[in-house]
Amino acid sequence: MAHNFKTDLAIDWCPGCGDFGILTSITQAMTELNLGPHDVVAVSGIGCSGKTPHYLNIAGVHTLHGRSIPYATGVKLSNPNLKVVVTGGDGDLLSIGAGHFVAEGRRNSGLAIILFDNAVYGLTKGQAAPTMELGEKTKGLSRDNMFGRVNPIALALTSGYSFVARGFSFDMKQLKELIKRAIMHEGSSVIDVLQPCPTYNNINSMEWYRQRVYKLEDDKAWDPVINQENKSSLSQKYQNAYNKALEWGDRIPTGVFYDDQTLAPFTKRINHIVPSYLENPPAVQVVSTSDGYTVVDPMKTFADKIIK
Amino acid sequence: MVGMSEIDLNLIIGGPQGGGIDTSSNMISRSFAASGYNVFGVREYHSNIKGRHSYTHLRIKKERPRSLKYPVDILVALDADTLFEHLDDVSKGSKIIYDASFENSELSQARMIMRDTSRRIKEKLNAENLPNNVKGVLAYMEKRGAKPLKVPFESIVTSVVKDGPATRYFNTLGAVITLSIAGLDQKFAEEGIRAVFSNKEKVVKENIAVVEAAYKYAQSNSMSGSNLEVINTKERMLLTGNDGAAIGKLMGGLRFQTYYPITPASDESSILEDHETVKWIASEEKKLKDSGVVVVQCEDELSAITMAEGAALTGTRTATATSGPGFSLMAEAIGFAGMDELPIVVTLYQRGGPSTGLPTRNGQSDLMFALNTGHGEFPRIVISSGDVEECVYDAMRSLNYAHRYQLPVIHMIDKNLANTTDLIPEIDSRKVKVVLSVQTMKQEDFKRYNLNTENGISEMGFFGKNIFWMTGDEHDELGHVTEDSEVRDQMMRKRFRKLETAVAEIPMEDRVELLGNPDAEVTFVTWGSQKGPILDVIEDLKKEDVSANLLYIKMFEPFPSEFVEKVLGKAKIVIDVESNMTAQAAKVIKQNTGLSISRSILKYNGRHMTEDEILKGTKKILEEVSSGKKIVNEVLVDGA
Repeated sequence: MAHNFKTDLAIDWCPGCGDFGILTSITQAMTELNLGPHDVVAVSGIGCSGKTPHYLNIAGVHTLHGRSIPYATGVKLSNPNLKVVVTGGDGDLLSIGAGHFVAEGRRNSGLAIILFDNAVYGLTKGQAAPTMELGEKTKGLSRDNMFGRVNPIALALTSGYSFVARGFSFDMKQLKELIKRAIMHEGSSVIDVLQPCPTYNNINSMEWYRQRVYKLEDDKAWDPVINQENKSSLSQKYQNAYNKALEWGDRIPTGVFYDDQTLAPFTKRINHIVPSYLENPPAVQVVSTSDGYTVVDPMKTFADKIIK
Repeated sequence: MVGMSEIDLNLIIGGPQGGGIDTSSNMISRSFAASGYNVFGVREYHSNIKGRHSYTHLRIKKERPRSLKYPVDILVALDADTLFEHLDDVSKGSKIIYDASFENSELSQARMIMRDTSRRIKEKLNAENLPNNVKGVLAYMEKRGAKPLKVPFESIVTSVVKDGPATRYFNTLGAVITLSIAGLDQKFAEEGIRAVFSNKEKVVKENIAVVEAAYKYAQSNSMSGSNLEVINTKERMLLTGNDGAAIGKLMGGLRFQTYYPITPASDESSILEDHETVKWIASEEKKLKDSGVVVVQCEDELSAITMAEGAALTGTRTATATSGPGFSLMAEAIGFAGMDELPIVVTLYQRGGPSTGLPTRNGQSDLMFALNTGHGEFPRIVISSGDVEECVYDAMRSLNYAHRYQLPVIHMIDKNLANTTDLIPEIDSRKVKVVLSVQTMKQEDFKRYNLNTENGISEMGFFGKNIFWMTGDEHDELGHVTEDSEVRDQMMRKRFRKLETAVAEIPMEDRVELLGNPDAEVTFVTWGSQKGPILDVIEDLKKEDVSANLLYIKMFEPFPSEFVEKVLGKAKIVIDVESNMTAQAAKVIKQNTGLSISRSILKYNGRHMTEDEILKGTKKILEEVSSGKKIVNEVLVDGA
């Protein structure tokens, strides 16, 4: 029987929360990819999105606020055979964890980052988060938002993510497919998932999004994929992605903006310097002899320090 | 001809940062080592890339030196700043080697000397009516019995090397003249060159030409010492504290290291990067594939610690290395490792704080912080190393403790030790075992935080092998969030039970030692790099019929309270020696044993403690004790 990717815990998100659609899309994607229960792990930070790993029946860690990406990177680089899914909110990934978000784009370790984008800090009662528009006043705020909005797609592209997409939590069919592609993508991917916070964000509601979203893939000419054959189109496709990233307001594009399959992931970069890293990664290395002593020869390893 | 071997040579070689001081001290060390002598040294430098004063203080003996001493026998100045900075570090019989090109330099031109330092030098020269220039400072040192030896650096170099700037070889020349004065045979100087430049043909050739010219010059200008005896020795390793920790970590099974660049910690990670490919012991060579350690330079220390913890989730032995400012950023994640029972090692290289403090200078002011890092209460192990060999084995032990007790281990090394160069005998691969964590065999219903454990240790599972959850929240046995009051109590008690287990299992000699005569008149208390100088001071005192011993603390958490209480309870005159202002180890002792130590020798100017100044401080305290004073706090101030 196929593995059930959901745990039996009572889920304590608010009724109508966009998180439910994301959770279901994740488990469906894992099932359809036919992943084994030990092939994939989940890493989150803090907030409502941070609870996601507990609802997934795979190994999961609910880490510190803003730090999901470096935790996930540690998992991935020590055991590159694992698929690593990161679930984090826009506050978690783009405010307190913004430095890691940018650095991971530069690394391209191979994480599937699912950004729960609802423009508010729900769990602490609705403060403004990085994707809220300047001057907006959602019902949890006592005054207009004084910060400008960060553009997650443009930031992901600028940071160097090799797969950048946007989904909508109430279009699970599309979202599930995006998650599947992100999990299977060799480098790091970001999916900006638009979702309402029915409790605190009365502006960006489900209806508000429904009226605006459209699918990039509906345009048959839209081709964001860069592979070895069409590598010369990279800069054109990067620019196309950027132009689409800047669309916001009356019409909001969803789907894959950019998919560069040619950029070497960090794991392959390590493999160039650490012998047999990919086949014998840190997680599976033998560190002691059968009688419990070190396997490392210090004199041979550090022969340059020897005085004869 | 039978030479002499009973030397005890202290020397300083100084010059501008970026001027190859490190290379020349390495040359001196390797040359003496090649002829069988022991070498011990400390590097001092500014937070600066090029220009400011840097120097290495070296001590060479037949027996292994374990401390440094002022005044020095030889001062080698590759620039005028070195003469100005070290005017008080020489005395009767000291030789000062300096380059003729700056003999007319003025103190006012030495703009790389810190303004306050310059002002102090000026005051000293003025007090003796000496001009504020190189001639004045040489006269100042001559008045104290030192002998200046002017060497025409440029003409010696250009006589043998025709292309490129002659200054490129000044560091070699300074080193080689020193070797000649010490009476070392020329062939060892050449051996030193080959070792330092690792047989890079052209560089070696040119530098050896400089060696020949230097020896020739030295001979015809009475700068050759009497022949030093050659001592036969076994293979040894020339290591710094940073090297030692890196080697110990690899031996202890480290396969994933993260870091963010910071002085004086990042040298350790660079060394690991240089030795990424690990060589296996002979018996494993056939069984194990070529492999190595992954070293990741992170975007900040928040990432360094959390990435290492992430890697620990897959069963990898992981660590990070940092210094005070970076450690401050790591505080929250260290709490996570405590809460989630993650095996993680942080090698904490202490430098002078607070804030950015003295980035390149010594300090031991992070002890209280290491013991209290992070909010909330969680078990941790805090250990400290005092010499280069301890760095090796303590790094191994740190990984063992982390995995055995599933908690964060903070391994403290002070800057002085990190930058100490020591020649150590062969590393013993079988001195410390590699202790693995207890791993679950369960596939179904695995409880990562199984409460049914007497020693507090639950079986570990790993990402990729087991399904379980972790959260920084208080959690149930499966690792899911809970706020249940009873489970909370049980989990808190379970986590802290591991420390009781650690106390029961870790041998006392790995936690604290009483070195020397147990019934001594004077008991020193210290930790970290003062160990060596104090052991030398104990020998010095013995010659003056004062018996002393050393209570040397290696583990601060869990603290070896009973042992310390027993020793201090019957000790007569107790002197606490630390490189900080508030005597932090003494505070920890009081907190754990209730015993106060009322006498201390402290130093917080960022420079290393030397044998002579600890001895001086001790004598002063003993005088005050005999005059009936109770609280005596000696503050040491030496060092450029």
